[in-house]
Amino acid sequence: MTEKLLLAVPSKGRLMEQTIEMFAKAGLTLRKTGNERGYRGEIAGLDTVEVAFISASEIAWYLKTGRAHMGVTGEDLIREQISDADERVTFLKPLGFGHADVVVAVPDYWIDVRTMAELDEIAATFRREHGRWFRVATKYINTTRRFFAAKGVIDYRIIESLGATEGAPAAGTADLIVDITSTGATLAANGLRILDDGVILKSEANLIASKVANWSPGARQAENEIMQALGL
Amino acid sequence: MAAETARKFEALEAQAQKIMQVFIKAGHEAVSPAILQPAGVFLDVIGESLRARTYVFTDPDGDELCLRPDLTVPTCRLHIERNGDAPAKARYCYNGTAFRFQPVGAGSAHPREFRQSGIENIGFPERERTDAQTVATIIDAMRAAGLKNFKLRIGDLGLFRALIKAIDMPDRWRQMLTHLFWRPHAFRAELQRLSRPAEESLKSIPPDLRAAIAPTDLARSERAVVDYLSSNGIEAMGTRSVTEVASNLMWRLADAKSDPLPPETVALIERYLAISGPAKAAGACFKDLLRDRGSAMSPVIDAYHRRLQLMTEMGVDVVHAEFSAEFGRQLEYYTGFVFEIVAPELGRESPLAGGGRYDDLMRTVGGKRDVPAVGGAIHTERLLSVVQGGAA
Repeated sequence: MTEKLLLAVPSKGRLMEQTIEMFAKAGLTLRKTGNERGYRGEIAGLDTVEVAFISASEIAWYLKTGRAHMGVTGEDLIREQISDADERVTFLKPLGFGHADVVVAVPDYWIDVRTMAELDEIAATFRREHGRWFRVATKYINTTRRFFAAKGVIDYRIIESLGATEGAPAAGTADLIVDITSTGATLAANGLRILDDGVILKSEANLIASKVANWSPGARQAENEIMQALGL
Repeated sequence: MAAETARKFEALEAQAQKIMQVFIKAGHEAVSPAILQPAGVFLDVIGESLRARTYVFTDPDGDELCLRPDLTVPTCRLHIERNGDAPAKARYCYNGTAFRFQPVGAGSAHPREFRQSGIENIGFPERERTDAQTVATIIDAMRAAGLKNFKLRIGDLGLFRALIKAIDMPDRWRQMLTHLFWRPHAFRAELQRLSRPAEESLKSIPPDLRAAIAPTDLARSERAVVDYLSSNGIEAMGTRSVTEVASNLMWRLADAKSDPLPPETVALIERYLAISGPAKAAGACFKDLLRDRGSAMSPVIDAYHRRLQLMTEMGVDVVHAEFSAEFGRQLEYYTGFVFEIVAPELGRESPLAGGGRYDDLMRTVGGKRDVPAVGGAIHTERLLSVVQGGAA
């Protein structure tokens, strides 16, 4: 194994730009090495650090398995993909960008359902009328299960949705959804409304360290240098 | 968990043989239901805690399947496959693998692949007798495998159902409390809610809508809902009908008009749920507690004592058995008597065996009617580790 610290950062979009900006403000210049489309990079002047540009959802897996020592990604993705997140990673710093709430949203038309308790109340009737539990479309399967269980709602089925989740109720493939929203505009446009107590997680991008990575002395020292630059 | 050693494999096989011999001698037919099961059937009946721990996947045809998390539901499906809806009695036994996801660090008493040896008694109307036979047979089998030191824990969901039935309250509240029984937290919250004036629970309904709903007139209430939707520019969508939305609002208004549950009723339910201790003493306890609830309770209390008596006659040590009114709250498909065998070495968190009565299950998994049924299963890896006196 290399002695270097592996830092995993988002490989595209606003999240990548804001991550690079955030490090730049701390005097750390992230740049790609070799091919512009490649995914390897470095921090100028810190040769004990290797940077991997990968998709935000893969970063959680890198941290969970210890392939990366540090990473930048959304708390929502960490909580969804790592069932024992607090055992495996440390949230070092919320970064003030990549804001997104994970929420439970029902059709606005359900004027009799404004809380999770009221959702639970209609479960039994729904089943009697339609011969099935109501369906929740989401890509946040684990997050949904945990939240619904904590709220005492158990009579539902999850339908895994990998895109355009907010369209599922109108399309008839699900009855309600759990999804991320930043302004709520997309939900409203799809005739959906967030339940009064339906905000599961207020997520933003975080700087995160893996507890299960191989923390060689070299990696530890590189971490210190990054932390110092960030004023942590 | 790593693969098991050949020695452990052989020990489990030998143990399974001893167990199955007892089951077969007690009149059970050995069956081997399918490991791959349709996910939908399972997900609907097993309850959320087990649901989140079931391995579910989609096959190349797009069908959702799961690795069976227990053998009771597969055995019921096998029974229906064989008999259709013809009334049939059957005693089954099995020894097979079940699969449950375990969080990291769950320990060796909680493997994600484990073998269950168990029995199911389907279609026998003498409930207490069959309950007692089930416990006695499971204990005999565990003894045959070498178990000496253990404790029997029992519960009875029938008592709770009868109690709720004997208390005067709107039917919908009964349904709600029974529905929430499995979730102690939500149950307590609902009980508190029903004991307060219900005005509060109506606050979330917009006042103009609330005024327009007619508590006893469905057609008018539906019109009120439609008017409210159109004047607020809301489109109807999805599966729920306007009738469902209107009926739900009507129920809630009706609830608000009912008298709240009096404090002594809430106290009675809470006192019942707090009962735990030696099985015989507990029996006396709820006789005391429920005496003034009149005759409605006596059949279930009599059944409780008759079951204890039958167990004694069948050689089960009832004197040291422990009753808990809360016991059974984790196991959603049970409807009546429930039991667990625990060993001091592994404690309550890792019972060596468990089971109970599930009179609704046959209908849930595809039968046309409820069928009296009771069963139990042994967690064979745990039993072996206790019998061998070492770590699993």
